[in-house]
Amino acid sequence: MRARRLTGSLTCLVVLTLTAAACGLAGGGSDGGDATAGGCKVDKGNVGSGKLSGEVKGKITFQTTNLKKDFGKYFNGVIDAFEQAHPGTTVNWIDDPGDATFTQRLVADAQGCTLPDVVNINVNTAVALTKNGYLLNLDDKAPDAGKPFTPALWKSSMYADADGRKVHSVLPWYSGGIVQTFNTDLMKKAGLDPAKPPTTVLGLFDDAEKIAKASGGEYYAFLANPQLRIPADWQQMGIKILSPDGKKFTFADDPKTAQWVEAMTKLYKAGGMPRDSLSSTQDPANVYGQGKLVYGPTNPNFLRFIQQNNPSVYKKTGVAPFMLDALGHTVGAPQYIGTASTSKNASTALAFARFLTNAENQLAWAKDPNVVIFPSTTASLNDPFFQSVKGDDPFAEARKIVASDRKTATADEIALTPGELNAISAQIQLAMQGKKSAEDALKEAQSKANRLIEQGS
Amino acid sequence: MTQPTVHKAPVPAPPGAGARRPGVSPSRGTPGPLRRALRFVTPGASADAGGAALYRRWWLPWLWMTPAIIGATVFGVFPFLNTVVVSFTDAKPLGGAYDVVGLENYRRMLGDPDFWVATRNSLLYALFVVPLMVLLPLLLAILVEKNLPGIGFFRSAFYTPVLASSVVVGLSWQWLLSDQGLVNTWLQKAHLVREAIPFLSDSWLILLSAMGLTLWKGLGWYMIFYLAALGNVPRELHEAAAVDGAGAARRFWHITVPGVRQSMMLVGTLTGIGSLRVFTEIYMLGGATGGPGGADRTLPFYIRDVGLDPLTGNAGYGAAVSVALFALTLGLTLLAQRLTKEDEA
Repeated sequence: MRARRLTGSLTCLVVLTLTAAACGLAGGGSDGGDATAGGCKVDKGNVGSGKLSGEVKGKITFQTTNLKKDFGKYFNGVIDAFEQAHPGTTVNWIDDPGDATFTQRLVADAQGCTLPDVVNINVNTAVALTKNGYLLNLDDKAPDAGKPFTPALWKSSMYADADGRKVHSVLPWYSGGIVQTFNTDLMKKAGLDPAKPPTTVLGLFDDAEKIAKASGGEYYAFLANPQLRIPADWQQMGIKILSPDGKKFTFADDPKTAQWVEAMTKLYKAGGMPRDSLSSTQDPANVYGQGKLVYGPTNPNFLRFIQQNNPSVYKKTGVAPFMLDALGHTVGAPQYIGTASTSKNASTALAFARFLTNAENQLAWAKDPNVVIFPSTTASLNDPFFQSVKGDDPFAEARKIVASDRKTATADEIALTPGELNAISAQIQLAMQGKKSAEDALKEAQSKANRLIEQGS
Repeated sequence: MTQPTVHKAPVPAPPGAGARRPGVSPSRGTPGPLRRALRFVTPGASADAGGAALYRRWWLPWLWMTPAIIGATVFGVFPFLNTVVVSFTDAKPLGGAYDVVGLENYRRMLGDPDFWVATRNSLLYALFVVPLMVLLPLLLAILVEKNLPGIGFFRSAFYTPVLASSVVVGLSWQWLLSDQGLVNTWLQKAHLVREAIPFLSDSWLILLSAMGLTLWKGLGWYMIFYLAALGNVPRELHEAAAVDGAGAARRFWHITVPGVRQSMMLVGTLTGIGSLRVFTEIYMLGGATGGPGGADRTLPFYIRDVGLDPLTGNAGYGAAVSVALFALTLGLTLLAQRLTKEDEA
């Protein structure tokens, strides 16, 4: 509370000197005058230029997304350590289930000026909150905040603010990483060499063609639903999905996209993908676990799932670096930590956000045997835990591969909104069924997706 | 009729006293018990309605209704009116500034082929599901109506799908209907089909399968409705008809159906409204796009796609389609009512 009063008094002083008006009338110096962020009254120090000042004191709320159940011990430890290092602070930890309406709910909280002070968010939510000014602009408020993170990740973790300017509004946190996983037995059956996994997306489709020919419907390359592959495949192929200002889709203008759709169509017709998975909600992890897919999901955490649920398939599973293709590195947005610009104790909130995401705390969590996550900080990735992994089971392989991949990985994954993803996928499904040519489908997909951007802006 | 003694004297009960309304009670009469008593009598209540009436304040019914009225206003009337207002704007799902766009949303809607596909699917849904849902549960109810030993088991079994979550049911149906699922395996084993039927990849079959799922899940629920209604059909009529030599089919059409007619109308209206609101079945069987190419989207599915996405949704357009859905629902309900009325006349 003292911090609040202090910032309040400072603000009053500024207001007083600027306008020579009496401050006492404006609310006793408890709130920071008339500064606003996203329609909420906020402490003046939270917005505009200039570093955040003020004591690290008082009470803040910290919200995670669906982590309390499994990681209570870790988070309570971090919170205790923070409170001990900064006497007079209290961190109230809450956990959101993180369902489909998460973004909607959180933005509604923000509009009600009750966004938790420190909040765990994903890309879509970060985009929405930054656009409306509900997160602290770290470029102004804490210019050195990016130091601990891998440069590639930090540079690419920027989102547009209310004026369309790209700013740092979030601290990158953990990510799941990306690898190729495959069933080596089935690969050999189809005449492929597990030691030579594809290095390009279209190379993967070439291999998949061979699988379609050899399998006779007994097993498949991967599932058909295009939602599972876009926009990751396209981005990896170096296709420009969006215009630089993010206001128009451009994927249909690149002939490589049509090549990709044709490869999907050909493979679908050849039986390289289960016919009934074209639009279904089937989980590829389950189908892979049944030994019916050559290529498994690309999330290393999935290896843990397979290890527990289908040990025999796990033993046959091979791991390789993800296809870097034309892009040359992988993309994958991490989980983020944002600090609310509406916070009453912004200094405390930011201090906690930085504490939570520092190398030491991230490494400690990554070492928890129950998780498969990768830190965003350079120092943690250099730790022997990631650098000298023992064992050669798929899981250990994956950890080695991903840890080195993380150093060049960027966060600028194109995050399609569910509406855009559905609109685009629907057209590709029609092409795969032979109801439309690849070009027509892509054109229609692009115009529909553009319409969505238009109506959302 | 005994009355509380306190009020016995002041209230005169001559014939015709019931016509006296509190509104016309003399304002200059003797102030006191009589006037008070008259004021407290509810409008139109005859004096011999008894003592309870004397305690009834005019506002008492309103008091009891208040919670329901508040609920209906806050969660029904207001959102409805709000939807109508929003449909003339380009509001975003997350709020913020918006412009009034007049009839633009409605113009866009009428010119959008996706809207018409969704309308067609919703109407087809109502067309197929309503008649079956009116008839099949009735047959099911007749089947389990008799008190045979162990009938409770069957009643419960038929009711189970109602209790299961839509998502669980949807998943089970996914497994049943997939290319290598139970249904296709049986059909192939029985040599009825050579290749698996594309239940989950052909857009028409997805729609039909979803209808089947809706029916299967709803049967038990409406069966309970009919079981209650069947209990009210006089047994003597059946016996008399049987004595006169009427067969089972004839008794069904001439005794059972007229006997449960009211329930059939109710079920018809409820399922009509319900079938225009279908979302989960399509999502579970057709996926997030609503079938390949979005060809199986129903109106609620379409509303979700265009209106609710937090970043790219247009709540104004979504609201316009919602108003259209409301008009369609209301129109069909009125049509059904008129048809049944003409039928009666």
